[in-house]
Amino acid sequence: MTRDILRVDMGDLSITRQPLPDAWRRYGGRALTDAIVYSEVPPDAEPLGPDNVLVFAPGILGGTSAPNGGRISVGGKSPLTGGIKESNSGGQAAHALARNGIAAVVVTGAAADPDARYCLVIENDGSASLERVDEWAGLGNYDLAEEIAATRPEGDRYATIQTGPAGEAGAKAAGIAFSDPKGYPNRFAGRGGLGAVMASKGLKAVVVSDKGHGFLGHADKEAFNASMKRFATALKDHAVTGQALPAYGTNVLTNILSEAGGLPTRNFSHGTFEMADDIGGERQAETIKARGGEEHHGCHTGCTIQCSRYWMDKDGHYKTKGPEYETAWSFGADCGIGDLDEIAELDRACGDLGLDTIEMGATMAVYMDSGALEFGDADGALKALMSGVEGGTPGRVLWNGAAATGKEFGVGRVPTVKNQAMPAYDPRSVMGIGVTYATSTMGADHTAGYTVATEILKVGGEADPLKPEGQAELSKNLQIATAALDSLGFCIFVAFPVLDIPEAFAALHELAAAHTGDEWDADSLMQVGREALTFERLFNEKAGFTAADDRLPAWMMTEKLPPHNVVFEVTDAELDSVFDFVPDTAREMGLA
Amino acid sequence: MKVQIALFASLSRYQPDGEGGRAPREFELAEGTTIADIILSLGLPDEPRVVFVNGRHAPDDHVLAEGERLAIFPPVAGG
Ligand code: SF4
Repeated sequence: MTRDILRVDMGDLSITRQPLPDAWRRYGGRALTDAIVYSEVPPDAEPLGPDNVLVFAPGILGGTSAPNGGRISVGGKSPLTGGIKESNSGGQAAHALARNGIAAVVVTGAAADPDARYCLVIENDGSASLERVDEWAGLGNYDLAEEIAATRPEGDRYATIQTGPAGEAGAKAAGIAFSDPKGYPNRFAGRGGLGAVMASKGLKAVVVSDKGHGFLGHADKEAFNASMKRFATALKDHAVTGQALPAYGTNVLTNILSEAGGLPTRNFSHGTFEMADDIGGERQAETIKARGGEEHHGCHTGCTIQCSRYWMDKDGHYKTKGPEYETAWSFGADCGIGDLDEIAELDRACGDLGLDTIEMGATMAVYMDSGALEFGDADGALKALMSGVEGGTPGRVLWNGAAATGKEFGVGRVPTVKNQAMPAYDPRSVMGIGVTYATSTMGADHTAGYTVATEILKVGGEADPLKPEGQAELSKNLQIATAALDSLGFCIFVAFPVLDIPEAFAALHELAAAHTGDEWDADSLMQVGREALTFERLFNEKAGFTAADDRLPAWMMTEKLPPHNVVFEVTDAELDSVFDFVPDTAREMGLA
Repeated sequence: MKVQIALFASLSRYQPDGEGGRAPREFELAEGTTIADIILSLGLPDEPRVVFVNGRHAPDDHVLAEGERLAIFPPVAGG
């Protein structure tokens, strides 16, 4: 099994291929992007300058038939947070890269001519070239996908990685789009501004052909297939991954979070939204069905959960993906908008411009809170968002995210940590997720340690979301486990059965062992998670982050959130305990 | 006493009026009625569920009180 690093220097336009260093053989996905960013990026590097690097890495199981094992990690220094970033996406690219024997693409330097645009083309024999594509400058993601299609031979099978106009404008909320199995560029490594990092290098797109490649082979095929069967059965048997997610998608969460008083509404001023059901997953599924859309599909081949869906417009045509829960929340409840078509319009605009919908919805809510727009004004929101295309305000300010927008428009209630906007759970009434928001190396991020499962959904045990006790420990354990899953290349939704079904957990390391021929067990799997987090913490420390950055905004400790009228109560000492393992792990890694 | 009951996702079809939907219905209940009694009378499937009373998790032996809102979900998750 080949696992090479493909190095692409945008300064001299050279491409080289080298074997993955043996010290990193247990790293894939997030652990590998972290190791590379930690080793190659000066912590004080300008994120949009030539010293930053951009890394694309499939997980250890990328390219295989492991269910839900084809996610991709994108790493670099974030222009939004100023810290290390791993942004995770679905789409076909992870499989395509892995099947070409590529463990990571490392993009360094920057094109000498700032007006130049390049497309990195990786053919199915593993050869790679940089094509000059200046005429693609400024193209939205959907048009860009069509331009790319026109360059490919008939019958090709390929994946795309793209940055849109927002990335080219250097927007701190710009994400990177990945093509889904049908070729729509609608899957996103959205968070942290990596779309701007990609564009800053002069890289507009990456195309990876995997035509003719099948699933990768394994060191121990029989063991792999046996574990795979057990794993697939667990995914099917668990009520969440076998029923709720395929039937309703991620947006099934809207009603339950609103019920629990944890759905941030009108810029985090309330925990329930009176129109929650109008924008929730049940209504979404009913509407898509009525408009003739398909019920569900996977964001990449090999996904058996299939939480994905397409939103169809009133005439039954594809509009955008999802909208996912996070987007239905950010442009919905958080902006006071109670209409899925209006939310889908904003989602489509962000998808085409290449903007993170979590950041942009939260940003729009901050903008509305300034009085510049009424809450609920979807037309006004779309206009404000699109004003960035021509440059100037408010668009270009909004494109830089919630923190920048709060500053520019004088809003005190800005829900960010490390400059990154909070996702769709209010940390005052879902306190465990507040620990993750505060302490995550990524800035406010729910996926980093999804305590919501235990607090609200009763998956993987139970914790009272309205009480601070035990939340730091819960977040810590989930952050480690998540970093491990992200490194194998799994979709984090496998965590729901993994937390409840012991055989599903065992299957994770069994699959890694059978595929690679290396020894993997529960301990070594969690060790990879700890090592990934240790790279991240050490990088951030060197970039100047301190304990003061691991805090929620002060107003969340004083401003009571209705309907439960609660504030965030986890103590600073508990927050500071989350990464207590880092010094030991750093020593074990020889980094201390 | 009067209690509001809302059923979500795959459970909404168990509302006694057969009309589905997530809108809460008002029920007239005898004093001392527990959540378990209601689950039984609605005929909800014998599967795990997540239950809230007035936005807080509640156990099946919770005795309902006048004016409370009961919400029942099947296991759901996302992110
Ligand atoms: S469950 Fe959803 S997010 Fe996860 S791999 Fe499948 S479609 Fe993608």
